[in-house]
Amino acid sequence: MPASIAYDNETGRLRIINASGGFATKGHAFFTPLGPNGRACVTCHQPADGMSLSARTARKRWDATNGTDPLFAAIDGSNCPSLPQAERASHSLLLERGLIRIYLPWPPRAADGAPIKPEFSIEIVSDPTGCNTDPQYGLASKTPTISVFRRPRPVANMKYLLELPHGVPPSDVLFYNDKSLLPKNPETGGFASLQLMSDGRALTLKIQARDAALHHLQANGALSKKQLDEIEAFEKQIYAAQDYDKVGGALTGDGAPPGLGPAALRDGAPARLGNNPINRIFGSFAMWADPPVPTDETPAAKAQREFKRSVARGAELFYTRRFVIQDVGKYNDKGLGNPFKRSCGSGCHNTLLMGMDLAPGYMDLGLNNMPWANARPDLPLFKLVCRPDAPPQSYLGRVIYSHDPGRALTTGKCADIGASMTQQLRGLAARAPYFMNGSAANLRELVDFYDRRFNIGYNEQEKLDLVNFMSTL
Amino acid sequence: MARPSRLQALCAGAFACCFTATAAAEPAAGTPVSFLACPIARDAGPEADLCFFAEYGGVRYGLANPPDWGSPQLKHRVLVEGRVNGGAPVCGAIAIEGRASVLPEIDESCNGFIPYDGVVKGAAGGVFNSGTPEQRAFAADLARRAAADPRLSVAPAIPDPPAPPPPSAPFEARSLVITYPFNSDRGPGPDMVALLRLADYARISKARRIYVVGYMASSRLSNGEEIKESASMAQRRAEKIAGILTGVGVPEKTVQVRWESQPIAGKGEDDWRNRKVELSLQP
Repeated sequence: MPASIAYDNETGRLRIINASGGFATKGHAFFTPLGPNGRACVTCHQPADGMSLSARTARKRWDATNGTDPLFAAIDGSNCPSLPQAERASHSLLLERGLIRIYLPWPPRAADGAPIKPEFSIEIVSDPTGCNTDPQYGLASKTPTISVFRRPRPVANMKYLLELPHGVPPSDVLFYNDKSLLPKNPETGGFASLQLMSDGRALTLKIQARDAALHHLQANGALSKKQLDEIEAFEKQIYAAQDYDKVGGALTGDGAPPGLGPAALRDGAPARLGNNPINRIFGSFAMWADPPVPTDETPAAKAQREFKRSVARGAELFYTRRFVIQDVGKYNDKGLGNPFKRSCGSGCHNTLLMGMDLAPGYMDLGLNNMPWANARPDLPLFKLVCRPDAPPQSYLGRVIYSHDPGRALTTGKCADIGASMTQQLRGLAARAPYFMNGSAANLRELVDFYDRRFNIGYNEQEKLDLVNFMSTL
Repeated sequence: MARPSRLQALCAGAFACCFTATAAAEPAAGTPVSFLACPIARDAGPEADLCFFAEYGGVRYGLANPPDWGSPQLKHRVLVEGRVNGGAPVCGAIAIEGRASVLPEIDESCNGFIPYDGVVKGAAGGVFNSGTPEQRAFAADLARRAAADPRLSVAPAIPDPPAPPPPSAPFEARSLVITYPFNSDRGPGPDMVALLRLADYARISKARRIYVVGYMASSRLSNGEEIKESASMAQRRAEKIAGILTGVGVPEKTVQVRWESQPIAGKGEDDWRNRKVELSLQP
């Protein structure tokens, strides 16, 4: 793998930078099958897909291999291992939504393996995949298990996810939400950032690698220290971002916005706030806002100029257009107030260059919980009933219908039902669909969800501007 | 012609007055108030945050807590405890010195929201709008430089503050009081920063002892009703604070934790001050 390599995608080109230089993938632990199902880490973390996995790639691989690619391993590359694996329909969630089955013990277990007494019960309302009611893999099996379906998170730009937040004390030591201590990183003894996974169940890259090897790769034994070191070192030095647009042309270089492209990520300072008038999350786009019009402008040059103007408008909307954020569990109730008025960038996506929530932000945006979730008859639906003495989910109470209880499957807490960690916004063009349950097939559907959820009222031009802006990240 | 009372002035907006059925006498400065009510959210303009007020006895009271103490929430009632302070109106309502605590249980009837109507105008927040003159000057200079050199827009504008000089002998006794919302063990951010500083002081000074004492309380409402916190709240508060101290490296043997098993009885005046953890450090 070279030090710098580009991959075409629907709107342009994504570039990968290996900050440590090129290397041979043969024999490298990230690129080598580590278990009997033939999968490697790279199977679900594809460089061409911004180190995540697009549904488009999954479909191409199915078509190229007639479903025999290790990606479609029965354990979690299908809707349920008990389904007929040769049938395309048995892998519909992966092929159509890019979803991997995440199977978690119920009740949840702490890091030391001890069972956690949950604050809520789980009832299966509908089970279109059959896995939660399956006698071998389901909730009533010998090893009670909940199956939910989630998108693989991108394994790139990791320094921004691993570093504790700067400039927002005491959030480098305490959870913003309840001011309890952050968990400790068992490898360093310091505090862990919690940005790595959507539910926070693995705190470090090595723990995540062990967990992934055991579950996704079905490795028989523990990974060796050499393998873990190799995986961690690789993941810490890889950067991914879009650097070319088919209409807009080069996104980096002289006269381009300084936050675009992977080099900006390689060189940037991690874990800083970007919601002030100077640091605008992904930097200034002012140079594209109103460029001079040449007298002999070609149609292609005009289209490029208009695209850049659209991106600049989209950036401004993202940074400054405030809207009323209401009834977001673990967000409005963490001291901010309900409702609370912020823009995308000054609210939940405030980390400089990356767009996560800097103070580790588990929240229930409404992606999986009723009544806000998009209609998803393809996903299981659970009814969760919380104990009367448990603090309720702040806006949904103690009886909640959810496609994926999220963080609550790790903590067992009623208030965490549906909550997940905000994720980075880089390399989006390479890794559709979006949201942890893949419910937005493209960036327009992503914008539409927010517009509906928060009654923002974007007009068509504004939606297009936001889509164009996000496609350049 | 008599001048309108402050209450009448506050109700000048026709829509805003929909929430007040009858006008009531404006309470005098210093009057204690303690009541449960639904908060009402008000949009204070395109550049400002939302603000909240609540009504009791036909009077509107502005709800303004210290930073990160917990802002009111629709779908939840608030316990309002304080004294009329005679200051400038808050959210178009009478200002009080006190606290508003969000109750955890959902109350769907708490859904009052007033869109921006120009009657109450808030100011844009943030250090770059409302900081000290030095902070504003710093921000203005950065803005000028960033306009000239866009690369600065992705360089952190606000550097980490330099580490404070380590405390040196002679070390002295120190104390800290953390107050809490009703039935909550979530300490506000500024108090937690102070707690972490105290922990640093304890570690560096090799303090002999830190005493941590947790309290819970009841609140006497203005209508005579009394409401109590959960029976375990004093313990939860004390143990959480002690856990933070030891979690950041204060030796466990130096942290002495206890809690009062009986709530401090409310008197209807500043009862919020009784929901607390007291810390005292002995060098």
